[in-house]
Amino acid sequence: MILYTPLSESDIFPTAENVYTNRQCVTYDGRTVFVEKNSNGEYQLVQLLSTDPQDYLNDKYIPGSILS
Amino acid sequence: MMNKDAEKKEDQEEQEEQSGPSSLVQKIQALGQTNVPQAPDSNVHVLSIIGQVEGHIQLPPQNKTTKYEHLLPQLIAIEQNPKIEGVIILLNTVGGDVEAGLALSEMIASLSKPTVSIVLGGGHSIGVPIAVSTDYSFIVPTATMTIHPVRLTGLVIGVPQTFEYLDKMQERVINFVVKHSNIQEEKFKDLMFAKGNLTRDIGTNVIGTDAVEYGLIDEVGGVKEAMVKINEFITQAKGNGEQEVIQ
Repeated sequence: MILYTPLSESDIFPTAENVYTNRQCVTYDGRTVFVEKNSNGEYQLVQLLSTDPQDYLNDKYIPGSILS
Repeated sequence: MMNKDAEKKEDQEEQEEQSGPSSLVQKIQALGQTNVPQAPDSNVHVLSIIGQVEGHIQLPPQNKTTKYEHLLPQLIAIEQNPKIEGVIILLNTVGGDVEAGLALSEMIASLSKPTVSIVLGGGHSIGVPIAVSTDYSFIVPTATMTIHPVRLTGLVIGVPQTFEYLDKMQERVINFVVKHSNIQEEKFKDLMFAKGNLTRDIGTNVIGTDAVEYGLIDEVGGVKEAMVKINEFITQAKGNGEQEVIQ
């Protein structure tokens, strides 16, 4: 199949909904974070929501780190 | 006994060695680096409004959104925390829910602490009232703000009342922007209803310096200018506080 269109690939082949179902918003250490459950059953940090700029420099809240 | 202690120590060391590299590997996998610099606590907090402003309807997860139910409690926390002396609002938004956007704008406008906004990239539609809601607003030279009439998606009942409802909603946005910026109502409406500027819509795409020229935004500038401004506001606020004590 050859596509010739101004639309982006994701508009034609939308991402499956289930990719996002294991993503959830939780409070971790008093900060709101988005986590994703990985294949090992661990929660991996996806996004940190904080107004404190120093939190973004904190090792603990690096996106991709495993929550303990 | 000595032997046992020694063994224990060795065990511990071994464990530390094992946990050491693995956490290091994890860090490298996560961020591509091993260490991030540590700095003292900041008295200026940052609120970023990115993607779409999400309101009453939850958008599909592939959309990048700023959920107002996340931001409103943060704003209250900022107001309550005595260690926080100022807030910087970073904006790069395509717009979104009118009522969520107005809620955020009113919350920011009614904070007692100094606020400064920076429009980066884009601050479109409902991003405009959020940008002007702060005490002082900046826009980077390359950023744009699209000003256009409010529109509705979903089920619309074809009665004159629908139009009136929409018109009132638009009026609220216009009033807020006029009240919190230096733009004249006539000028803002002219920009909003201009023809021929946007390809398939009416409205105007205002770029950095033009936004300042129209009085919508206070100044062209980025992080450096914003930090100088907020520190100026903070010292001002501190000065006022001291005077009150003397009285």
